[in-house]
Amino acid sequence: MTSLATPEKVSMADLAQGDSPQAEDGGRRLGFLLTLPAQVLVLFIAVFPLLVQLYISLTDWSPLDGIGWWQAYELWNGFANYTDLMADSRFWSALGRTALVMAICVPAEFLLGLGLAILFMDDFVGKRVFYSIMLIPMMVVPAVAGYMFFMLFQSGGPVNDILSSLTGMDVSIAWLSNPTTALIAVMIADIWQWTPLMFLILLAGLVGVPEDQVRAATLLGASWWQRFRTIVLPKMKTIIVIALAIRVIENFKIFDTLYIMTGGGPGVATETISVYIYKVTQQDLIWGYVAAIALVILVALSILVSLAISRMNAGKEA
Amino acid sequence: MTAIHLENLVKRFGAFTALKTMDLEIRDGEFMALLGPSGCGKSTTMNMIAGMENPSEGRILFDGKDMNGVAMGRRGVGFVFQNYAIFTHMNVYDNLAYGLRMRRLPESEVDGRVRKTADFLQLGPLLKQPSAKLSVNILQRLAIGRSAIVEPAIFLLDEPLSNVDAAFRAVMRTELKHLQRQFRQTMVYVTHDQLEAMTMADRIAVMDHGVLQQVGTPLEVYNNPDNLFVAGFIGAPGMNLLKGELADCDRGLVVDLGALGRSAPLDPALAAAARANGTRDVVYGFRPERVSLAASGEGMMMPVVFVERIGARTIVHLGPDGQRIKAVFDNDVAVEAGVSVAVAVEPGSVRLFDAATGQCIREA
Repeated sequence: MTSLATPEKVSMADLAQGDSPQAEDGGRRLGFLLTLPAQVLVLFIAVFPLLVQLYISLTDWSPLDGIGWWQAYELWNGFANYTDLMADSRFWSALGRTALVMAICVPAEFLLGLGLAILFMDDFVGKRVFYSIMLIPMMVVPAVAGYMFFMLFQSGGPVNDILSSLTGMDVSIAWLSNPTTALIAVMIADIWQWTPLMFLILLAGLVGVPEDQVRAATLLGASWWQRFRTIVLPKMKTIIVIALAIRVIENFKIFDTLYIMTGGGPGVATETISVYIYKVTQQDLIWGYVAAIALVILVALSILVSLAISRMNAGKEA
Repeated sequence: MTAIHLENLVKRFGAFTALKTMDLEIRDGEFMALLGPSGCGKSTTMNMIAGMENPSEGRILFDGKDMNGVAMGRRGVGFVFQNYAIFTHMNVYDNLAYGLRMRRLPESEVDGRVRKTADFLQLGPLLKQPSAKLSVNILQRLAIGRSAIVEPAIFLLDEPLSNVDAAFRAVMRTELKHLQRQFRQTMVYVTHDQLEAMTMADRIAVMDHGVLQQVGTPLEVYNNPDNLFVAGFIGAPGMNLLKGELADCDRGLVVDLGALGRSAPLDPALAAAARANGTRDVVYGFRPERVSLAASGEGMMMPVVFVERIGARTIVHLGPDGQRIKAVFDNDVAVEAGVSVAVAVEPGSVRLFDAATGQCIREA
C-alpha cells in the first residue's frame, strides 16, 4: 500500500509534468484505490443484482422448486424465456397499453403543467394558496390516490353525479368495468397525480429564463407566441427534456394507482407492463420468466432515455 | 427621428414614489443623458419611455403622440440593456435578424439588412459565431446592431458601460458617440457616471430623489449648476461649498466664512443678485480648478490636510474640519500636508446658493 500512495509520487511537480507516464500511473492507481470502497458498494447494489437477474432469466427457476437461486443452473433453459417472451401476446399487448398510456398521459401532463406554470408566472389573487393546492396531488400516496379514484369512478360515485348534473341526464357509467372507460379513468388518475410535478419542474425552468432577453424580444416586436417559441422554449429545452424523461420512466412503471383502481382489469384491459410483471411474479411464480421480462424492459427504457439525453446534449452544442 | 416629451410624469410603486415629477423635452436626434445617483428615478423614467412600466400620472409623447397604452413592442424604441440581453442561444446572425424575422420580412431582405448592419458594426466575420462567448465590446455592438436594424425612432441605453473595465470604457464611449452621430437617432442614455454623460451627451438631465434637478449642455450644467445638489454632484471632485453669511464692507459685499475669514468681494452683478434675493445665509461655491496659490497675506490661509497626486493633476485637501475644500493644482505643485498655504478663488468663478432653499443665486 505505502508504495502506491507515498506523497512523493503525487507531488505537484509530478502532476505538472503530465507527460511523465510513471507519475500519471501512480495518480491513477491512487485514484482507483480511493474510490474502491464506493465502487464495491455500487457493484453490490447495482451490478450484482443485475447479474443475478440475467442469470435467473436464463433458467426456469421458481421459488417453488425448493432450491436456492444460486442452484438455478440445474434448471438452465438457455434463451427459452426470451423466445417465449417474443411470442407472448399478453406481454406485447401490455407493452402496447403502457405505450398508449404514456403517449397520452405524458403529453397531457406536460401541456397542463406548462400551461399552469405560465399562469403562475403572473401575479394573481390567491396565488400562494393555489400554489399549495397545486402540489397536494403529488404528495398523496399513490395507493391512496388509487383508492380515491376507485371511489370517484364507482357507478354511483361523484363523477357520474357531476356528469348527471351537468348534462341533466341520468349518467351511470360503470367506469371501471368497461375496458375503454377503465383505461380513461386510470389515465385521468395519473394525470391528476403527476401534472403537479411537471408544473413544478417547468415553473422552475420558466423562472430561469432571463427576463431581460424576453423584454428585449418584446421591444424588438415579438408577439407573446413568438417570444415563447424563440426565447422561452429554447432556454427551457434542457429542463423540458429532463421533465419528460422523468415522467416517461415513471409512467412506464405505472402500477399502484392503477392496480388499486382496476387490478389490471376488466380482464386485461388496463394491464400495463408493471401489472403484468406483478401478476406473473405473484400468481404464476415463474421467476425466471419475470427476470427475462424485467431485463428486456430495462434495456428498452435505457435506450429510450439515453437517446433523449444524447439529443439534449446535441442541442446544447449547436 | 422622434422628439420625446415627458409631461408631469409621476411613478409610484406602492407607497414609494420613484419619480416625483418629471417634465422633459428631448429633441429630435438629440443625445440626452439621464444622470444621477442610484435610486434617483432615471431608470424608472427610461423604463416608462420604453413602455416597460406605466406612469402613475402624466404623459409620454413621441412627436406629440400620446404613448400611453401603446405596447412596448409597438413604440419603435430600441433598448440596449445594461447586460445587453443578447439571446445567448442564438448566433450573432440570428440575434441581428431577430427583429426583422419577428416582422415576418422575407428572408432575402433579412439577409441583406443583417449583412449591411454587420458590416457597418464590423461584425461581419463573426456572424456565424455563437453569441454566448463574445467579448463585451462585441456584445455591445451586437446589442446596438440588434436594436438598430429595425430602425427604431428612439434609442434607449441603460448604463451599457457599467460592466466594462475603466480602460475599455473610454474606447466604448467614443465608439458609442460615433455610432450615434451615424445613426442620427434620438438617444436617451441612463448613467450614474458623470464622465460618460459629460463626454457623450448633447444635453444632460441631472436627477436626484425622483426630481429633475437641471437640464442643460454639459458645460452649462458644469459651469452654472442650478442648485447645491448639481454643484456637488457634477465634477470630480465636485464644487467646493462653504456655508457663510453675507456681510457688507467698504470694498463691497463679501461672504463671512467664519474661521476662514472673509471672502474676496463679490462681483457687482452677483452682489446685486444676492442683495435682491434678500437672504443673508448663503453657500459660497467655487470649482476646485479655480483655486490658486496666493502670496501670503492675500486670500485665505488654510492648513493642507492631504495631498493626492493623481498624475496629470494634484488634488489638495485644505481647510479646518467642517470647512474642508479641495483644490486642483498642477501635478508638481510644492505643497505638503501639515503646512498652511494662502489660496485665492478666481473672482468670476464664484457661485452663491441660498442656504435655505439650495437654489443658485443669479442675476435676474
